[in-house]
Amino acid sequence: MKLIILITLISVSLWQRVDYSKFSHATKKHQAECKTCHLVPSDDWRRLSKFPDVVEYPDHVACVSCHRAQFFKGARPPICSVCHSKTSPRDEARYAFRNPASRLQFTIEFPHDKHQDVIAGLFNVRRPGVALAHALAPQQQNYNNCTICHASQTTTFKAAPSDHASCFNCHWQSQEPVAANCNGCHKLATAPYDAATTPARISSKFIHEGGGEKANHVLECTACHINITKSKTLRGLKPDVPITACTECHNKEGLRQDVSKELAAIDKNRAFTCVYCHAPNVGSLDPPASHYLIAERPPLKRKDIK
Amino acid sequence: MRLAITIVVLLLLTLAATSGLWRTEAQSPAGVLRIRVRVKADDASPLRGLARKRFFLIPGTLEQNRALIEAIERQPLLSRDCYYRKLNASAALIEWLKAGDCESVYCREIEQEFIAGPKAVPEFAVAFVKSQTAFGDETARKWLTTNLDANVREGFYKDRQTTILTLLKQATVPYQSVMTDRNGTAYFTDLEPGAYVLSNVAPAELGQTAVSWNCEVQVKQGDLATEKPYLISNRKDRLVKCVGVEKPLPACN
Repeated sequence: MKLIILITLISVSLWQRVDYSKFSHATKKHQAECKTCHLVPSDDWRRLSKFPDVVEYPDHVACVSCHRAQFFKGARPPICSVCHSKTSPRDEARYAFRNPASRLQFTIEFPHDKHQDVIAGLFNVRRPGVALAHALAPQQQNYNNCTICHASQTTTFKAAPSDHASCFNCHWQSQEPVAANCNGCHKLATAPYDAATTPARISSKFIHEGGGEKANHVLECTACHINITKSKTLRGLKPDVPITACTECHNKEGLRQDVSKELAAIDKNRAFTCVYCHAPNVGSLDPPASHYLIAERPPLKRKDIK
Repeated sequence: MRLAITIVVLLLLTLAATSGLWRTEAQSPAGVLRIRVRVKADDASPLRGLARKRFFLIPGTLEQNRALIEAIERQPLLSRDCYYRKLNASAALIEWLKAGDCESVYCREIEQEFIAGPKAVPEFAVAFVKSQTAFGDETARKWLTTNLDANVREGFYKDRQTTILTLLKQATVPYQSVMTDRNGTAYFTDLEPGAYVLSNVAPAELGQTAVSWNCEVQVKQGDLATEKPYLISNRKDRLVKCVGVEKPLPACN
């Protein structure tokens, strides 16, 4: 009987063994108010940031209050490696906060619709005449609009915010969700996940700063991203540029026939890869019905072309 | 017996397929409505796109949404100028908001000339000093709004939002809303074919008047907005499909 109890206890303890080198916000006891552990801003924010921010891991006291036993376990306690790059009492080196190598535990809640309502400044008040021009001077893109958060990453893609710089300038205090109300924007994910390094794009040849000599692509963002102003959340947000945004110039009688030309090329050779807008992974697929509609033709599947 | 059941199942499947119960994506592309809002502030002004105004698309006909439309029309109007005067806001702030057609302070960058000098807005100057103390010189101007009084910052916008959301609670079915771009264009997407009411719910200020639009619009199946946009204006024209009702802005008490 004693043996059975012993085996059961050992089994349970082995089954419940916790890997203290991994920190999870999903652990029930880690779900207290964020300020229980995180200081907003960190005491020494000026050392690492241009603006008040959470730039450091919580102090030891945040861990020791519950994890004293793990804290003083052996010469290199695994729990230290959550924050410290070297687990030694003589070395304080820590990973950057947050550790870029660790998986993300939170998703971001961001209502584009509300932000478009208040931050979208559509014209330069000093030079209202410019407002109606088709192409805007590049500096006007920076006019307190989408570029507050989405700066140019490459000529093709815009970047998404990766820190608090474009949030705290309005949400530091009094404008909810304020900086101390982390949960206002950060929602615990159902499971840890890896951040997407590059966004999935369908028309990967598109250049935001392009459009010929007149830089015709330099438009107000919502002229093409037509669903942004109605988007209440980031969940389910998808590429939302309709083909009509492109074909007003790129498939216009007497101007250009970029879509119609490539559809005609498929008619002649069903293995033809559309290259004007797309990389081969997309350009070798069946063109969607919308493309044929623009070309005023019935939709076709490549397999049906002889 | 088995054969009979199989035949009945096959018959039901055929019926479902032919009656459109199972529609493939290719057969039922959702409709798109492209609107373009072009307005004249007065007879002497040229037509221009009405930028940065939110429009709502509420399922149903005007008749089906009659209670909502009547509530919208009964709603008292408080203009931006009157709201800020009631707050005892400075004339400089009222002018600054008006110049950008702003509903809150967030719609324009607050440049240095509006913090100090002849164009200074007193509310910004005070908030700037507080920001300097808290954040240092470099961040103070960019973070200035965090030290503004909440009503000055966005009270007018929030008031309008409360009004709009209260009114739209009367809509019995989910609605969509989009904001016009600089040319006054906006798209409603993923629409089921049928009748909708297009409304701006809260009147748009246009010079000395406020304009309300409440029109019925039909969305066709598979419309990808390749046709001409649905034209909205405050002036009648043969191409205009939705003409707004203009009322003079009420005087401030």
